[in-house]
Amino acid sequence: MRSDVSGRYSLVGLGLSEQGRNLGIAPRELRRVALEAALADAGLAPKDIDGVIGSSSDMFEDIRYLGLAPKFAYTMQTGGATPAWSIINAMGAIATGQADVVACIYGAAPTGGYLRRADGSVGGYGNFGFGYGSLYGLIGAPGAHALHARRHMDRYGTTSRHFGAVAVDLRANAAVRPGTIGYGQPITIDDHQASRPIVDPLRLLDCCRDTDGGVAVLVCSTDRARDLPGRHVTVLGAGTGHQIRNWWTGEMYDLHDDIAPAATTAFGQAGLELSDVDVAELYDPFTFSVIMQLEAYGFCGPGEGGPFVEAGGIRGGGTIPTNTGGGQLSGFYCTGFTPIVEGIRQLRGDGGATQVDGAEVALVSGHGGHGGVQGSSTHVTLLLGAGQ
Amino acid sequence: MTPRRLLPADVAPDDLDRPFWEGVEQHRFLVHRCRTCGRSYWPASSCVDHGGANMEWTEASGRGQVHTFAVYRQAVDPAWADRVPYVVAVVRLDEGPFFHSDLPGIPVDDVAIGQLVHVEYEDVEGGTIPHFVVDGR
Repeated sequence: MRSDVSGRYSLVGLGLSEQGRNLGIAPRELRRVALEAALADAGLAPKDIDGVIGSSSDMFEDIRYLGLAPKFAYTMQTGGATPAWSIINAMGAIATGQADVVACIYGAAPTGGYLRRADGSVGGYGNFGFGYGSLYGLIGAPGAHALHARRHMDRYGTTSRHFGAVAVDLRANAAVRPGTIGYGQPITIDDHQASRPIVDPLRLLDCCRDTDGGVAVLVCSTDRARDLPGRHVTVLGAGTGHQIRNWWTGEMYDLHDDIAPAATTAFGQAGLELSDVDVAELYDPFTFSVIMQLEAYGFCGPGEGGPFVEAGGIRGGGTIPTNTGGGQLSGFYCTGFTPIVEGIRQLRGDGGATQVDGAEVALVSGHGGHGGVQGSSTHVTLLLGAGQ
Repeated sequence: MTPRRLLPADVAPDDLDRPFWEGVEQHRFLVHRCRTCGRSYWPASSCVDHGGANMEWTEASGRGQVHTFAVYRQAVDPAWADRVPYVVAVVRLDEGPFFHSDLPGIPVDDVAIGQLVHVEYEDVEGGTIPHFVVDGR
C-alpha cells in the first residue's frame, strides 16, 4: 500500500561542477558552480532557496559566499549516506512548513590538498583512521571494507575475478560517458587481475579514487515542481538502516550495511516490488560493495552476486542495469551524490549511451558514517521515479 | 621498523575505555560485561537489553578465533611502509565481542578464518599493546 508521502516531493534541479582529480578549485567554489547549475536547471533564483542542507562540515561559510538568504542552514554528517539523508531531511523540512525549496549541497576537493593531515602531509578520504584499530594499521577505507570482502569469499567462494567482473562492467559504462575518470578507457578482466594488490582481497581496480567536485540538488513539493520549467524526478520511497544493529548480533562483517529495514521502508512507502526497479545506482566505493548490495536487495540470492555479475546481470539489457554512469569506481566520487546524480539522469533520459530505455524507477543507495565502530555504516535507500 | 610509542589518544578518546588499557598494562584482557545478563561487550558499551548502569570491566579468557582479516600489501599511511605486508584481523573473542588485532608471528599467506588465537602483550613506551597470536605459532 503506497504511503501518503510517496511522490509528494521532487528533485527539481540538478547541478554539477566539473568532476575530476586535481582540479585546483576550492570546495566552496565547486559548491557555488553546482548550485548555480542546479538553479538554472530548475528555473529558480537564489532567493527561492529558503533552506540549505550541506554535507560538508566546512559549509557555514557558504551561505554568504553563495549570496543566499535562507530561513535555515545546517550541515549534517553520516558519511557517504549524507547526501541521500539530506534529501530526506529536506522533505521533512518542507513537510513541517520550514521551507518551500531546499538546496542539498556537496562540494569537496580531496585530491587538491584540502584534506591535510596533522603533520602537514596531504591525505585523502582513504587515510581515515579507525580508533584503536590504527594501532594495528587499520587505516583507510580499503582495509576496513576488505574485512567484509574476505568474509564473503570465505562463506560463498566469491573470487577476485567476480570482483573484477564488477570493475569491468562499470568501467564499460564510464568509458562511453564523457566527464568520468574512466571515459575512453575500458578495461578487461586481465587488467583487473594484473592490477596491484592494495589490501587483500582488494586490488587497485577494486577501489574507487577520490575526485574533486560539487553537486547540488534542489528539493520541493511535487505540486511546485509541476509549475517549474525544468524536468523533475519524484521521491517514491525512502528508508534507512544502521549497521550497528548487526554489530550487536555479530553479523556485521557478513553484511553490507543493514539494508533490510532500509529497503522494507522504501519499497513499502512506494508500494513497489523489486521487479519494478528499472535501474540500480548503488554506492560503490569498492567492487564487492556492488555484489553484496545486489544480494541484500534481492536481485540475486545470498552468495550469488559474483556469478550474477559475471553472467552479465548488471549490464545494459541484463537483469538490473547498475551504476550506469560508471559509479564511484569509474565515474567520479562525490560520495553519496554519485548514485543520486545518475538516478536523476536516467529518469530524465539523460543517460547517453548507457541510458536504460523507458527507465521509470531507479533504486539509489547511500552508505557511510559509523556508529562507534569501524564498518557500522548508515544505509539509505531512495526509490526515485520519473516525474509526471 | 618504527619503534612503538603509545600516546593516550591512540587508544582511548576519553576515560571510558581507560580501564581496558590499564588492564593490558597488567597483562590482563578485560571486557565490559553486563552484571544483569552476563553479556560481554568491547569496547565500553551499554548493554542493548539493560542499559549502561550495571556494566563492569571483567577479565576475559584472552582467547578467540579469526573472524575475518585483511592483508595490507601497500601502506596507506607512510608510517606503515616498512611493515607491509601486514595483517589486520577481526578476532571474535570467546566471550562474544569483536577485537581488531594484527597476528604477529604468522606469514600473511597462512592466515585463515577460523584459526584459534590467544592474546600476548607488547610493552612499549607509554603503555602496552595487546596482540592476538595464532595458536601454535
